[in-house]
Amino acid sequence: MTNETHNYNQLLELAVLEAHGLLDPIESDLFTRSFHDAPVSIQEEIIRMQEAFAVDTSFLPDENPPAELRKRVLQAVADTADQEAQRLAPLALIGARASAAQTQYGSSKNITLWRTAAVVLFGVAVVLAVITLDTQRKANRSAQLALNSATNTALNELVGHKFSEFVGNPYCQVTRLERASGDSAGYLRIALNERFGNGFVMGIDLEDGEEIIIQGTTTDGTVIELARLTADGPIVGQDFEIDTALIRGMTITALDANTGKRWV
Amino acid sequence: MLNEEPDYRLMRRVALGEEDAVTELYDRYCALVFKLSLQFLSNNAEAEDAVQEVFVRLWKTADRFDPRKAKLVTWVMLITRRHLIDRIRRKTVRPKQQEFTEHHEESATDVPLPSNTLLHERNALLWEALQALPEMQRIVIERAYFHGFTLREVSRQLDAPLGTVKSALSRGLLRLREQGNKDIAAQL
Repeated sequence: MTNETHNYNQLLELAVLEAHGLLDPIESDLFTRSFHDAPVSIQEEIIRMQEAFAVDTSFLPDENPPAELRKRVLQAVADTADQEAQRLAPLALIGARASAAQTQYGSSKNITLWRTAAVVLFGVAVVLAVITLDTQRKANRSAQLALNSATNTALNELVGHKFSEFVGNPYCQVTRLERASGDSAGYLRIALNERFGNGFVMGIDLEDGEEIIIQGTTTDGTVIELARLTADGPIVGQDFEIDTALIRGMTITALDANTGKRWV
Repeated sequence: MLNEEPDYRLMRRVALGEEDAVTELYDRYCALVFKLSLQFLSNNAEAEDAVQEVFVRLWKTADRFDPRKAKLVTWVMLITRRHLIDRIRRKTVRPKQQEFTEHHEESATDVPLPSNTLLHERNALLWEALQALPEMQRIVIERAYFHGFTLREVSRQLDAPLGTVKSALSRGLLRLREQGNKDIAAQL
């Protein structure tokens, strides 16, 4: 038996165990990595096999859930969602509190001050939420809830509505770049959707008027300009399109259009 | 090309807490989740509690669903199975390691399955199919799947290499599925 056959059999074996929830977390992660490294044809075979296990009702009892269970389950999910949302109160309720204060007291000076404070705090919260999304996948739950409310609106205003399609999207490969010189702040996040052939670049803390060229180097060494980003605010974003055939294995770099300084 | 984008969008909406999306998820999969819960648990009330917990867990893990790796139904059933195995592991009635070791020294075939009568009645076909499996495959399925022992625990109980336990379990589950399909075909 060749190593290839051996690996293939092992992968199928693990796929069966994984489909039944019988792998411990470490082995499950190992299976996931091996799965992603496997050829597409084997991945599809595994997906089909696991689906067949999932829908197989041959040994399951022939009883259906009672109708009243639906309401109970939906209520339980809603209650849990409410509890999670309350944990986000400091982030998500700033706007709501300002609004409540406006209704209750009606002082235009105070309202202006509160609004200004809320906008400033909200800007900070938006940046934190974006960084959190990138650096802590496990925090996605909270960040996504925040995105669902006011943060989503604010980000859309800053970088355009397409941004949200590139957050937490499993089809996207995300690259983060910082200045090679490390001499000043700045952060680029480039998301490429390998399935639909588009992408989104977002820049945070760029210098005013700074122009950045985002480049992709394909596996055969061809360099393609993907997008140009001009900083006209603290957070800027731009979507772009790319041939899906070129994405796999592509290396992303960036450079300053005026000085040629590189981002890595 | 696999058509998983709608599933991905649904789970994105579930992750964002959209009520319609959670309702759609429930309507699609509640029957499967309930039936599987009944297979594992001793009564309907426990199964209904499990269904509720599974859907809360699905909501909590919705952002981890990866349509490149599995179909949504596979993900739902994986979360369900993991939850049910966790639930069994939390129960104190699980036979002790020593008890299993002693049984194995006498005869590995004598290890008892959960003794609830209703559970046995509901799963009569499954028990029957299990008896038709080679001894090693049957034992590892019973212990890992129905008693909730980890594969490492089963490996220690049987004094068998972990790889052997995994292979036996995988082959046994495949054979069970083949047997199930034959039974269904015979009923048609």
